[in-house]
Amino acid sequence: MLTFIQMEFLKLKRSNIFILSLIGAVLPPLLMFIAVSAFGEGNAFEQLFTNVNMYMSSLFAILLFAIIISYLFGREYNEHTLKSMLTIPISRGKFILSKYIMFLVWILILTVVTTISTAIFGFVAGLEGFTLNLLLDSFAQLLYANVLLFLTFSPFVFISLFITNMVPAMVGGAGLTLINLMVYGQNWAPFVPWVCPYLIASGEIAEYSTSVMVSYGVILLTFLVGIAISYIYFTRKDVSL
Amino acid sequence: MVDYVIETNNLSKKYSKNLVVNSVNLHVEKGKIYGLLGKNGAGKTTTMCMLLNLTYPSSGDILLFGKNPKRYPKEIYSKIGSIIETPGFYENLTAYENLKIIAKLRGNHNPNNIKRVLDMVNLDGETSKKFKDFSLGMKQRLGIAAAIMHSPELLILDEPINGLDPFGIKEIRDLLKRLSHEFGITILISSHILSEIENIADVIGFMDNGVLIEEITKDELYDKLNKYVEFKVSDVNLAIKILSDLGLKENIDFTFTDNGKICLYSNLNLRDKFNELFVNSGIAVNKVNLCEENLEDFFTRIVGNT
Repeated sequence: MLTFIQMEFLKLKRSNIFILSLIGAVLPPLLMFIAVSAFGEGNAFEQLFTNVNMYMSSLFAILLFAIIISYLFGREYNEHTLKSMLTIPISRGKFILSKYIMFLVWILILTVVTTISTAIFGFVAGLEGFTLNLLLDSFAQLLYANVLLFLTFSPFVFISLFITNMVPAMVGGAGLTLINLMVYGQNWAPFVPWVCPYLIASGEIAEYSTSVMVSYGVILLTFLVGIAISYIYFTRKDVSL
Repeated sequence: MVDYVIETNNLSKKYSKNLVVNSVNLHVEKGKIYGLLGKNGAGKTTTMCMLLNLTYPSSGDILLFGKNPKRYPKEIYSKIGSIIETPGFYENLTAYENLKIIAKLRGNHNPNNIKRVLDMVNLDGETSKKFKDFSLGMKQRLGIAAAIMHSPELLILDEPINGLDPFGIKEIRDLLKRLSHEFGITILISSHILSEIENIADVIGFMDNGVLIEEITKDELYDKLNKYVEFKVSDVNLAIKILSDLGLKENIDFTFTDNGKICLYSNLNLRDKFNELFVNSGIAVNKVNLCEENLEDFFTRIVGNT
């Protein structure tokens, strides 16, 4: 598995999408930095970290993660490499699992980049109240939200296998972002898989009457259903050349 | 007992109502080059995909190295190198990097080995060029390098010379012959180019409309090719009369053309006697040729008969 992850990194060498995803991870901190600098929205590090985490994990990450997962799976079809990979041989189950784990590693990298860039922008903006604990707490919160979000992206694996170009993932990601905007603050937000991660990680779930276990259940169910349909579809379908 | 590396039993593939491979019984003997010949859409690629577990058969069985590949996939497929249609590689990577990924995932990464195979296919000089900038011929050669890098016992190559220039074709043909004859590698190669299969294969399988029409060795093929004697004569009508008087039937034993050509398909050993009769009857015989049907004619004939 480690070799597979290493090779996934080699596949990303000179890849624009990896660079673009890093820029994507820096975008929410940059926008918050502009908001702080230009519009004077808060002068504390804590506020900056909170805002960045909210915008990242409840909105921007949805679109970003959809593009990444679509790229990870779709490129094997679009560059006709899937037939080479499977005849190495690599089992189809291991192939899906390895790619999905690579997706998690990619998310971890983006989480680190977002947190560090937030801190840098905070210093540039001259914000007050920076502590190492604040940085670590903010990182832990964003990481937790993103890992939960990672679990809810298993249906996108199926979409990426079913329609191998990036358009459906982008449309789906944009659609989910809009849904998140619409349901955030509504009573049924804890039932929406792609909103729950932020609500749980930020602690906002306590403001809802629904038990946190229900949200965990929704995330787990989404994960299991997504993985199951992806596995069944991929292991039973002929490889398109 | 013959040692088959590939053996299929009534292998079929159906897409909805379309039967693209129909009860194929393929027999590829160890150490031989087996050429699968057929028009585009004959079912060659689908058959190869089924052998490589990229496409699932609708019915029938496959034995590779005498074993069921579903039960021993890792053991069996690690002994196989393949190219199916245009080789796919990561476009942002160089030839070396692409081969490194495959070698690492196979668990037999050796930089010297990668350099050796790149040298074999004349890509050793392309150290910084990305795959997306490769010509079709270079892509094909990299595909062959990837297929042979792990010293496989069986190569399954679907149209491997597509896109190669004549020099490239010769190089790859010589390489495949060397791999088979020196290293004993069994090769299943498909092509719609008859001359290529004729050049390289020890055994030829003819496929059309998903059916494996015939499987024959090259020696058997030459025995099966129709032979005929061609006479170029000054008086066709008189020559026809002479042959008819001898009991030979038009369109069965011989045919003729208006420009003075008579093709004799039977009694070939009596051609000197026929020549003598023609000359004695005052016919000028300008040419007598013993001709043989070529692979193209044979292919057309057997495909036409199905």
